[in-house]
Amino acid sequence: MENQPSGWRSPRLQLALSVLCVLVSELLLKRGATETASATAWSWTGINSLASPLVWWGILFVIASFLSWLYVLKYIPLTVAFPLSRVVDVLVPLSCWIFLGEIISARRWCGIALVVIGLAVVAKPVARLEERL
Amino acid sequence: MNLLAFLFIVTSLVTLVAGQLFLKRAMESTTRTDGTRARLIGLLAAGIFLMTISFFLTLGLLQRFDLSYLYPFQGLSVIIISFSAALVLREKLTLQLTIGALLITIGIVLVSLS
Repeated sequence: MENQPSGWRSPRLQLALSVLCVLVSELLLKRGATETASATAWSWTGINSLASPLVWWGILFVIASFLSWLYVLKYIPLTVAFPLSRVVDVLVPLSCWIFLGEIISARRWCGIALVVIGLAVVAKPVARLEERL
Repeated sequence: MNLLAFLFIVTSLVTLVAGQLFLKRAMESTTRTDGTRARLIGLLAAGIFLMTISFFLTLGLLQRFDLSYLYPFQGLSVIIISFSAALVLREKLTLQLTIGALLITIGIVLVSLS
């Protein structure tokens, strides 16, 4: 890993931004796709989802997350960056719990705990690399 | 799940993984001095094309299945990408990274099962 820029251009901050945009886009896309669900042959390609404005908002967030993701790839190996980006799989159920009052089962809490431990394990070499800089 | 659904899920996974590999290659070429602009644009275009296919296939799947049904496959993408980055891009895959990727994969599957 080479010298990393700090501030707004910090790869770690951009990774966090990218994840946040993915979180928002997933919620928008799920709602938009459900809105436009139909049983025609073409709908297997998902293209008829474009009828929903929510899907277009979702696409906007996908593009934003994509741009910061490209920037992240410049500095962090895929074996580290991609597992870290899946923190979103914890954030989705947690935000449903916090904002929508959905109940999280014991099994799901175990899964969330495992993902968090896994993230810590993956993130450790990154922290060590940065100490050396 | 019928065969068609399985085929679409596998295709969305494969295009996602291949797309990420192309994008990583593209961004790597920007840090090297011998990377040409044509090479960067070609790699980026290939990556974006594959990610777009994966994106629409996922939307199509979301219309038919619950997120909770499709999520375990998202979890699999973590371990698949780690291994293919090590194989194709020659990234160093340490034991620690493998364990981390496995824990995240199992965790995502557990989260989505309930």
